[in-house]
Parts: sequence; structure tokens; C-alpha cells
Amino acid sequence: MNKHSPLSSVLAEVNIANGLPNEHYVDPAIFAEERKSVLYANWSGVGFGKDVPEEGDAKPVDFLGMPLLIVRDRDGEIGVFQNTCRHRGMILVDTPRKIGGAIRCPYHSWCYSLKGELRATPHVGGPGHNTHEDVDRSDLGLVRVRSYVWRDVIFVNVDGNAPAFEDAHAALLERWKEFDQPVHHGGETSSFKLEVKTNWKLAVENYCESYHLPWVHPGLNSYSRLEDHYNIEARGHYSGQGTLVYRQLTDQDGATFEDFPGLSDKWDEGAEYIALYPNVLLGVQRDHAFAIVLEPVDQENTVEHIELYYAKSIEDTPQHDGLRASNAQLWKTVFEEDVFVVEGMQKGRHGVLFDGGRFSPAMDGPTHNFHHWVATQIENGRAD
Amino acid sequence: MDKSKLDHLLLEAHARDDHDALIRYYTLAADEREAARDTDAACFYLTHAFVFALESGAPEADTLNARLAAHGRAHRLDFSD
Repeated sequence: MNKHSPLSSVLAEVNIANGLPNEHYVDPAIFAEERKSVLYANWSGVGFGKDVPEEGDAKPVDFLGMPLLIVRDRDGEIGVFQNTCRHRGMILVDTPRKIGGAIRCPYHSWCYSLKGELRATPHVGGPGHNTHEDVDRSDLGLVRVRSYVWRDVIFVNVDGNAPAFEDAHAALLERWKEFDQPVHHGGETSSFKLEVKTNWKLAVENYCESYHLPWVHPGLNSYSRLEDHYNIEARGHYSGQGTLVYRQLTDQDGATFEDFPGLSDKWDEGAEYIALYPNVLLGVQRDHAFAIVLEPVDQENTVEHIELYYAKSIEDTPQHDGLRASNAQLWKTVFEEDVFVVEGMQKGRHGVLFDGGRFSPAMDGPTHNFHHWVATQIENGRAD
Repeated sequence: MDKSKLDHLLLEAHARDDHDALIRYYTLAADEREAARDTDAACFYLTHAFVFALESGAPEADTLNARLAAHGRAHRLDFSD
């Protein structure tokens, strides 16, 4: 007998599909299910390399209640660990700081290297005895969480079962291979966050479609019309939108940011904005890029961490400080214009008679693509 | 150094979270106990000096670990990197 799937209508093709049911936006039980089957089972963004710029920098992150510790080690590599001592489960690092030598648990002072190795177990064999035959240091290193850094975004796969990042996201890596080059964070003005009363998925949905642009961002109409955009859909991986009329920002002297080197003509006036499932929103343009990590706080609240990047460092281009600030303000305005939409959709999801909604087959493909992916992850989790 | 004076200095160093002072005074306490052939107490203090040196990346961590290992109280660690 076939088991009825409540998500079967989401998994239908876009012309007849419904969106995800309300429970996926308002029910804490479904939020917990998504944590396991969607966010922990795939490559989720949890932070940025620019937040741990130097060796020894450590930053604790709460990822859906799971304490993580992002560390840059002596080799300059970024590692992510469960921020929990292997002894009594104490939180190891509770505020961002520089680790001079070792991560010392503040409870009984078990110490770990920046690569997570257990280095010291003071008094473990009794006062002044720092070894015990039944406590094997090699078995008790910090629990390392699978991680990968791409475009300065730190991704983690908590359950360890996702395909390798390069395989899981091979299609987007290929699509954007011209942008596979260093990015430089724009500094303090290029970093901001928005605390939004919405489910994290609504931020993804709004980001990846252009249908709303003329209504929500009327300021774009003068140079970036709806017909200048195209849908981007890779079933099972990502979706978004592209524009054919990207226009560079200029300052009062007509100066622009330096381009990323070696780009093809496509990017002279082209730009793309892609949601890399589950929770990372990326944008690439000839002269700057941005990355947004959506931090799902609970089923009704999300923090959008937004960072802007350039082809040249701020140290090398101090003449662009003003332009970078203007650019950040421009993007902040655009993202803030979206807040009422994602918060409004969240409120609307409490309408108990709402059926998940219908899609425009012409315009909503990217959004449906995301719903289809989420539903697939949920179904996979339920099948396990 | 008088024990009560050393205890006072250690408490002050803890209050300041002054790792250099903690390493110095715990090492001093260990030296005194070692001279008195009180190995358990010496290794207790050596352990504390070592942990604070290890945490802060101080070069003393290597020799303090070696002293503990010589007493059979710690595994010898590699500090080459």
C-alpha cells in the first residue's frame, strides 16, 4: 500500500504544484525536522572566513542550537568543531577571541590544539598526575564538523553524510568558474545584518525570484526591468535569477570598482543572484559580490548576515572607501525593502485555510525549485 | 618565597588572568616543592604552570611538559610546530 505523502503536491511540476504547507513555516516540530533533514543533512552556511582573519582566531557560533567553534589554525586553515569539551560537556569558547596556544576548557582545563587534538588532561590521574591508562588522548579530540570554505562562506555538513562539497555543488562551481578567484571583504561598512520576523525559507524564496522586483523595488525599474531578468533553476541544487543589464556604481568622479580579472563578455552587463540550498544567498557582478548566510533562529525568526566583497582589498584601494560605503547602503536599502514581504508572508502563513499557494509557471520556477528541494530532503529524512 | 606571599601573588594573578604571572608563580611554587622533595605537590604546581603556558602559547610549555614527563606525570608532547 502506498503511503500518502503530504508533500506530493509540492513535488509536482510547477504548473500544478502547491507550495510547502503552512506547517513548514509555523510549526516548531517541522522546524526541528528541517533542522535534521534539511540543514544538518546538507552543506549549510554558518559564517564567514573574514570573521577569523588571523591564525588563532576563534569564533563560537550557535547553529540551530548546536554550539560550533570556528577556528583558523596555524596553517591558516579554517576548521569547525563542536564547541563542547570531551570531558564534561562544557562550552569551550563563549565569545570570539584569539587563542594564543591552546583551547583550554574553563571547567577542568582540558586543553585542545587549534586542530582539535587533546593536548592536556590535568590531574586526570589524580592531583599532579596528568595521564590515566584509561583516558586515551588520541580518542578524545574535539569533534570536528565537516566544513568547506567557498567564496569566504564557511559551510558545514553536520551529519557528515552529504556528498563532498565539490560534488554536491559541482554545477554551480562550474557555472561560476570565472569567479573562482580571491574575494576581498569590503570592511566594516560592507558588513550588516537584518533580524527578520520570518521563517528562513521565505528569505530564500523571495531572493531567488525576479517576479517581485517591479513591485517591491520600483527604483530598479528605470534601468533593470523585469524583462531584463531570467530564471536560473538547477533541480536539486540551486535556483535564482540573472540580469542582463547590470550597471556599475560610479562615484562623483566617474570612478568604478576594479573588475574581477579575466571575466568573459557575458559579465559586462550580466549579473547573477543564486540561492545555494539550503541557506546561502550569493550574488556575483563584474566588480563586486556578496554573500548572505541565513541564520534560522526558530520557525518565525531569521537573521540575515550580509557581507560584500570586491576584487581588490581595502588596503590596496583606499580611494574607493566612499564608493564601498555607497554600494553597501544601496544593497542595504534593497534588502530592507524585502523585509515587509518576508515578514508579511510569515504572517500570511498563519492563515489556516492557505493551501501553500500556487506558482506562476512562467515566473515562479526558481521558488518552486526550492520548495521541491526542501520537500525532497524532508521525504528523504522520513524514509530513513 | 614565603608561602602566604606566593599564595597571595597567585590569587592576584588569577584575578588579573595574567598568564605570564601564573606561569611564573606556579613554576616558583613547583621549584620550592621539588627542592623539598615533595614530588606530588611539585607536580601539582607544575601542572598548573604548564596548562597556562600551553593555553597562552608561552615557550615555557615545552620545558614544563618535559619536567612533568620526567616525573612520569605527563606524556611528552611535540612542540616543534
